[in-house]
Amino acid sequence: MKKPEKNLNQSMRKAFGETILKLATINKNLYVVSMDLKSSLSLEEFADVFPDRFIECGLAEANAAGVAAGLAKAGKIVFLCSFACFSPAINWAQIRQSICENNCPVKIIGSHAGLLSGNLGASHQMLEDVALMRVLPHMEVFAPLDANEVRSLIPVVYQSPSPAYIRLVRPETPVYSSQPFTIGKSNVLQMGNQITIVGYGPILFQAFNFKEAEIINCSSLKPLDEETILKSVRKTKKIIVLEDHQQNGGLGEAIAILILKAGIKCNFRHLAVHDRFGQSGNPEELYNFYGLHLDRL
Amino acid sequence: MLRLDLLDLIYRNGGHIGGSLSSLDLIETVYTSGLFDFDQDHFILSAGHLAPALYVVLAAIGRFPREWLNNYSQFGSPLQGHTALGLPGVEYAAGSLGQGLSFAAGLALGNRKMKVICLTTDGEQQEGQIWEAAAFANKYRLNNLINLIDVNSLQIDGSTDEIMPLGSLIDKYSQFGWAVEEIDGHDLKAIKTTLKKAKQSNQPVGIVAHTILGKGISFMENNFKYHDVKSLSQDLYEKARKELESIDA
Repeated sequence: MKKPEKNLNQSMRKAFGETILKLATINKNLYVVSMDLKSSLSLEEFADVFPDRFIECGLAEANAAGVAAGLAKAGKIVFLCSFACFSPAINWAQIRQSICENNCPVKIIGSHAGLLSGNLGASHQMLEDVALMRVLPHMEVFAPLDANEVRSLIPVVYQSPSPAYIRLVRPETPVYSSQPFTIGKSNVLQMGNQITIVGYGPILFQAFNFKEAEIINCSSLKPLDEETILKSVRKTKKIIVLEDHQQNGGLGEAIAILILKAGIKCNFRHLAVHDRFGQSGNPEELYNFYGLHLDRL
Repeated sequence: MLRLDLLDLIYRNGGHIGGSLSSLDLIETVYTSGLFDFDQDHFILSAGHLAPALYVVLAAIGRFPREWLNNYSQFGSPLQGHTALGLPGVEYAAGSLGQGLSFAAGLALGNRKMKVICLTTDGEQQEGQIWEAAAFANKYRLNNLINLIDVNSLQIDGSTDEIMPLGSLIDKYSQFGWAVEEIDGHDLKAIKTTLKKAKQSNQPVGIVAHTILGKGISFMENNFKYHDVKSLSQDLYEKARKELESIDA
């Protein structure tokens, strides 16, 4: 395993568009439900090649979630694609009832998550998506580390019988992961004994500055790989949870409960956004301002 | 007579009787007219609180034992207060209004060979999602989709016109590109004829069915206080029963 190289950044959204195009070629049942963001989610080619399986709902997220559920009920594999600040933010009640309560295995793609949406400002920096999705019964929640993991995760998740939420980010980000993705498994990116650093998405890359840290890529947020996390904490007795998300409702809470239940005494830190909205700025400025830099500790 | 089953069910455990009585003839006709084959076609009850009406119909056509009606909305019963998956015949878990038409539209798009009948209420048309779905059904020319609208002109807190006037549903659905029919929602023959016609449409079809909340029980008719009853006194129950039995005779 080698550290990510900065000049090799790739787009998760592009990786998603390419992957889903390949899957649709193999699987004639695969549909995309769009809400006027096909260019932003790299779905233009999909729409050109498979016009009958590209369903454009326009700016109507509530209806789109219901249509996706109905298509799934008719036996289709459905990707519901938008920015996280619109879906699942606008259509949460539809996801709760029409998708989850009705057990329709729709795959929800929420792009532009976190402060990484940068200059678009607070409305587009979705910091509450993981919280909204992980509270829902039946829902699985994933956040790939990088474009490579998007390529390995999508073909696995799309076969799952559960509804799922998949969190993507806006900018091109470093590429590191090479391990296969398994639902409910976390990959250890770097072994270490001094401290456990666990997180999801590109924010985790800063952990590589710490040579003695054990770095866990928690891309499967729900189900959570309790075993890998607990095993590491039992060893290091120190843990930092890192997330580009609100502190409330995020991964930190899930891990804190896990550690408490297991009765492990350890030093616990949680780097996340504390009950505030974002603002325009570049990711570096924003991570600094909102206290999401590991160097601060 | 299904109205008696409905009265008994509500007398035992309370529930949404007003709208169940207004929509009963519509739901019964959907299932018993022979126009649809529910091995292939679908009935999506968007208004999940009308579950009692659906339950008495499903029991009557033998989808589950009639005794199950006794446990409506009780702990452990598959007959939940609002429809939930797990009861034979229930195709959509509902209760949050305005969502079923989108679900029905997705189903209709997923398989254009089957018919999808959705039942919504007039109060429910106040949900914005209904109009998102209406536009969608027109865009994708979902001529296998029928929206049966129970227009009893009342909702929980009063008349639909007081709570939020929408004007003419006929004009609205027409402007959204739907074929629209208007009927008396208690005229069994008209319901059947209109559904038959709707099956042949080349557009999605909205059926505006004018009904009476509490239909068949005089003191409940057009009284919005009977949207939902917690309990019914024995006197009122016996009065209602007599009225329904006299209609039956």
